Amino acid sequence: MTNAVEIDHLSKDYGKLRALDNIILSVPQGAIYGLVGPNGAGKTTLIKTLVGTLKPTTGSVKVLGLDPLQDKWKLRKHIGYMPQTAALYDDLSAKKNILFFGAAQNVPDLEKKADDILAFAELTDRGNDLVRTFSGGMKKRVSLCCALIHQPKIVFLDEPTAAIDPHLKIESWNLFRKLAKSGVTLFISTHLMDEALLCDKVTILGNGKIIAVDTPQKLLERGKTKLKYSENGEVKESILDSTPESLANELQKLGLNQNITSISLQPDNIENIVLGIIGEKQNSESTG
Amino acid sequence: MNTFIIARRILNQLQGDKKYLALSIIAPLIIIYFLKLLFNAFPPNVPITNFTIPIGALIVHFLSFLLCAILLVQERTRGTLERMLISGYRRTSIIGGYTLGYLGLATIQAAAVLFESLWLFNLDYSGQTIFLLFIVIWLLAVVSVMLGIFISTFAQNEGHVFPFIPLIILPSVFLTGLIIDTNTLPGWAAFIGKCLPLHYAVNIIHEIIKPTYSLSSTYLDFTILIGYIFLLWILASLTLKETE
Ligand SMILES: Nc1ncnc2c1ncn2[C@@H]1O[C@H](COP(=O)(O)OP(=O)(O)OP(=O)(O)O)[C@@H](O)[C@H]1O
Ligand SMILES: [Mg+2]
Repeated sequence: MTNAVEIDHLSKDYGKLRALDNIILSVPQGAIYGLVGPNGAGKTTLIKTLVGTLKPTTGSVKVLGLDPLQDKWKLRKHIGYMPQTAALYDDLSAKKNILFFGAAQNVPDLEKKADDILAFAELTDRGNDLVRTFSGGMKKRVSLCCALIHQPKIVFLDEPTAAIDPHLKIESWNLFRKLAKSGVTLFISTHLMDEALLCDKVTILGNGKIIAVDTPQKLLERGKTKLKYSENGEVKESILDSTPESLANELQKLGLNQNITSISLQPDNIENIVLGIIGEKQNSESTG
Repeated sequence: MNTFIIARRILNQLQGDKKYLALSIIAPLIIIYFLKLLFNAFPPNVPITNFTIPIGALIVHFLSFLLCAILLVQERTRGTLERMLISGYRRTSIIGGYTLGYLGLATIQAAAVLFESLWLFNLDYSGQTIFLLFIVIWLLAVVSVMLGIFISTFAQNEGHVFPFIPLIILPSVFLTGLIIDTNTLPGWAAFIGKCLPLHYAVNIIHEIIKPTYSLSSTYLDFTILIGYIFLLWILASLTLKETE
């Protein structure tokens, strides 16, 4: 099976600014792929190159084996795109927006699909209201509906859950998981590190460069875990690697005698780990 | 097919924004009324009938151009243009859809301006003349919509449209024969005037409001006016950027 995304030595310059620097990346089909990085890391630039609205300065990208610029009409049937900004018509209703973007690809049963997807986004009641009257999070949901209406094989979501409330965020991720199970590839950018944990694989982007590509589990293991225990009433601490092995190792050392009356584990949170990885990389570069 | 979907969307949007819709029809009517007040103050020997309909045409030209350009630029700044393209709409459908969608509005504007002028200035033209006047203003409106699409491709935001207003409208006022006879202008100025679509619309209007006019003497001007539509269509589809 061809890879969903194949990026080969891609660089993108805006004038003098290098927004993407020599990116090499493959994304298999049917997975949730996370793109994590701080503001200005180049997430949006990368996604726009993949959907074919930005031209690479050097290097090449392939989506579903097709070139997003040369084979754009063939490709656009199969890709969904949710931009970072709402990108909706304020003076049309939510449903009319969805119908309009769906109509470009002659989606069969468009009306019904639009109703279904509005129901999923919990917007059935508001479907006929003008988007102008919606809250920021509701606009995001309409925007997501527009990206999914033609049932694409791969969707690029640029910070889809920013400004969405916790309940619908969980619902959205449930949907993403369901889509992935049915074979859809999801390429999701986020600056929320806890969302990175919900992906199958994560690419960390910093300053236009790939800093790490790993599974969330392996990323977590790059952190440290603080082990706290009280021995004879005295609280002690040690810092371990976050791997299961190192925990076993430490416990073996302690031998867990009866004097140890409590143990607590405090793993690094993902934010610290990712920021640590980015900082490390940038330090090592600046010192040569 | 997609052209019609886009046109319908634009009409739906206009419906959703009734204030804007009303304003874009009432504004030209108010301007014409001011014109009437202005002309009332002129000495009676000024041939105001030579100015009224051409100025009405100018107003439709200007408004259609401006409204269309700004709305299309808005699509760019809001990201809906990008989204339309990625959804699978093609440039030609977008240009066609915009033309068709705004044509509805432009038709109403053209008719409103024409009938108000006829009524306010007591112009007593034959049915055929009125029909031809409507056709000319309407064709000019189509040209204006295409011009708006073309100009919008050079603008990254709404503000970028504004420098084009004096660039297109002022020469249209002074160099196309609207106010000053082009024969009295220096060669270069007359040349610029001849590059502007309003020149041909004014020529036709001046001809057909003569009591005895010959339609055949307007054929060339009509052809050029229609030629502008195709020229601007091609230019717009060449300059409407899909990628950066
Ligand atoms: N149109 C543009 N012209 C010039 N520079 C740009 C343009 N778009 C982005 N940049 C620059 O490219 C870099 C990457 O921007 P990009 O929008 O891809 O970041 P991002 O990771 O999406 O950030 P955010 O989390 O804020 O959305 C930034 O330094 C930004 O200033
Ligand atoms: Mg971004």
